[in-house]
Amino acid sequence: MSNNSKKWFSLNLSNTKTQVHNTSCKCGKSLGKCGDHSEENQGNDKVDTEDHKDGFDQVFEVQMNRRTAFKKLTASLLIGAGAVTTSCSVISDDKSKEKAQIDWEEQFKGNYKLMTDEEKKNTVDRLVRSYQLRTGKTINMTSENAEENVLFGYAFNISKCNGYMDCVNACVEENNQDRNSQMQYIRIHEMEEGKGFKFDEADDNYYHEVPAEGHFYMGTQCFHCDNPPCVDVCPVQATWQEEDGIVVIDYDWCVGCRYCMAACPYDGRRFNWSTPEVPEDEVNKNQHYLGNRMRKKGVMEKCTFCVQRSRKGKNPACVDACPTGARIFGNLLDPNSTIRWVLENKKVFRLKEDLGTEPKFWYFMD
Amino acid sequence: MKNNLIFISLLFCVCISCKKNNAEYHSITDKIHDKSKNYHETSISSEAYLQELELIKITEGEHTFLIPERKKQIKSFACTECHSKPLSEMQGSSDSKKAHWDIKLMHADTGVMNCTTCHNGNDMDHLTTITGNKVDFNNSYTLCAQCHTSQFEDWKGGAHGKKVEGWAPPRASMTCVNCHNPHNPSFKTRWPSRFNTQKVKERNEELVH
Repeated sequence: MSNNSKKWFSLNLSNTKTQVHNTSCKCGKSLGKCGDHSEENQGNDKVDTEDHKDGFDQVFEVQMNRRTAFKKLTASLLIGAGAVTTSCSVISDDKSKEKAQIDWEEQFKGNYKLMTDEEKKNTVDRLVRSYQLRTGKTINMTSENAEENVLFGYAFNISKCNGYMDCVNACVEENNQDRNSQMQYIRIHEMEEGKGFKFDEADDNYYHEVPAEGHFYMGTQCFHCDNPPCVDVCPVQATWQEEDGIVVIDYDWCVGCRYCMAACPYDGRRFNWSTPEVPEDEVNKNQHYLGNRMRKKGVMEKCTFCVQRSRKGKNPACVDACPTGARIFGNLLDPNSTIRWVLENKKVFRLKEDLGTEPKFWYFMD
Repeated sequence: MKNNLIFISLLFCVCISCKKNNAEYHSITDKIHDKSKNYHETSISSEAYLQELELIKITEGEHTFLIPERKKQIKSFACTECHSKPLSEMQGSSDSKKAHWDIKLMHADTGVMNCTTCHNGNDMDHLTTITGNKVDFNNSYTLCAQCHTSQFEDWKGGAHGKKVEGWAPPRASMTCVNCHNPHNPSFKTRWPSRFNTQKVKERNEELVH
């Protein structure tokens, strides 16, 4: 297998069909990706697989015990069987065959971290097409990489925050979080003045007129640590820090063990206990593979500094929504950026600095 | 010889332990400092988002940035469209309508501020400083800066006030009056825009168990 540059077995359902019925493969284009094309693309790619195993090899050339082997085989067999039935079935139409083809290729794709740009584009195309086939709606998904000379950082002014929670609303809408479990990445803690940061005594789910007398407000979310403990503990390397400092998750590689959730000292990570549900008309269709694309049951998710926005030069949704200007976001490497001015001119601090996690999220006061 | 060997191995151990976590830098501050030495501008720009907005460029101290144009946003500007005569002649005349009845000054003490602290009765199309200098309505922040000096410093640097669009250069920041009503500048109390009922349920269940 390893001398084959393809990273997974292609079923080539549409291809087989072409041979049988002799209809031109170009028709497959209108239906999105066809097996022929992906084969061509991957054939041309020179992937340096010498150093690390990737894709198909990652899955199959691995030492495992009988139990895991059986588990993996069953899962793959189920999908394979599904694909074969749809491909062989006379009744099923082109669409379901294409769906099966996409599912197959998605099942055996590699870790996003190891993908070439071409492969990233292919998986994004497949996900867009898959969504289109399932819902009839077109989404816009990208796989933009981190840019050189960019390191994202965030500052939060605790004397400005009034606890309005507009940021939480904007975040949920932007990032397609599960509406059923009312998942939210941001927590706003209402703290009593004169008591310091007592997170155990603070209320993060208040409902009264704010700002309340004698209280101040402090927001927490994923701090995108420069030395992230959550990344270290992930057994499958489904989470990592990108070059621009954003800690991301490959939702398709995550096995849902929740080690990262336990390792995070800031309660920054969330788990999907059930299939996330977002009403169709509320789905944010501007998505990024590592950001706000639809998640599934049993995977972790968290704030990504709105990677789908920030890599395009926009502010994260929470920064945009804040009516008091308590949230400041920018490029830490740009000496003229406002975030750098805050770090250099205001008295800043971070939470649990002694842990050495080096969060890129600073707090300051007027 | 033996001592030497122990020393070398000790040194080796120390070196290894310093390289803990394979971290290149000791702290994020070091990383920022080192990596921004050779900083050159990125291709990311917020120019496209700012294109449709009317902005003016200002330079205050060492900071140069864009702020939103103001005069076109004021409904009743220019003032001389109504105030055709000097204020003294308009006041008290029998046919005068009560103007600006909706504006009630809720800014500082009446002993400190009244209308004429910022407005000039003889030149209503311009604002005026405490010392009587003319200020364009677009540069109203100069008036605020007369008293709110620390806020002004923070605003210039970018710690106070929102950015207009993205984080990427060119920098465009809101000016004072985009968030604060100059006649009533404080933020009002209101209800939070969200309440998490699920969290309440989960926490109640936790208490029961």
